[in-house]
Amino acid sequence: MKLTIAGKGGSGKTSISGTMARLLARSGRNVLAIDGDSNPNLALTLGIPVERMNELPTLPRDLLRRTENGTELSSTLAEVCESHSLTGPDGVTLLVMAHPQHAGTG
Amino acid sequence: MHATVRSVIEAAPDGDVCILDTEASPEHLARGTARYADALYAVVEPYYKSLETGRRMAVLAHDLGLERVALIANKVRDEHDLDAVREFAERHDLDIVGVVPFDEAMPNAERAGAAPLDFAPDTRAIAAIGELAETVVSRG
Repeated sequence: MKLTIAGKGGSGKTSISGTMARLLARSGRNVLAIDGDSNPNLALTLGIPVERMNELPTLPRDLLRRTENGTELSSTLAEVCESHSLTGPDGVTLLVMAHPQHAGTG
Repeated sequence: MHATVRSVIEAAPDGDVCILDTEASPEHLARGTARYADALYAVVEPYYKSLETGRRMAVLAHDLGLERVALIANKVRDEHDLDAVREFAERHDLDIVGVVPFDEAMPNAERAGAAPLDFAPDTRAIAAIGELAETVVSRG
């Protein structure tokens, strides 16, 4: 199940996304939370300290390869998560798309 | 970044739950970021600009071919607020998948730099988000 939570800035979408992720993980589901905001702060709502965010390596430039219809990941998602995700409270996996220092790129 | 998000969602296993917290702008959605998602839920507050943004996002998500698109009413203080969201949703033929009450614990958690679930686990908003989570997952 792949859910997108959208909303105007300040609407509370990140609080809702993060809390839902934690509660679903608590009830036994494997949860991957993706922060797709160019100003990422999902980690905070998940209960992951900001310092840990700063340790995260940025996603590699060769993450994608071109296909006939567009792009796909050049390695498996599990491999990407292995090196570039954080595991937070309740076992939620967090993947951050834009590193704070690199906001606005890509 | 849009192509990356799109490709990550596409690669996520169907048996797991994948939650994408997206950029606020409808323009971001228009680029197809959410194309491989099963559902899009637009979080709205009970005032016109927020509702209108949510409506635009819902329209874009429909256009991308997403099967399940609905609003989440957030920061609802009273019946009057709830009526405002319901009336708007009805007028634009939109579903409301969940209602989260206004709860001082949420901004307080943010000010404290803590996760709402750790800061105030037993509040009304958290209970409502728990219900919402089960609803969206049971919708498949």
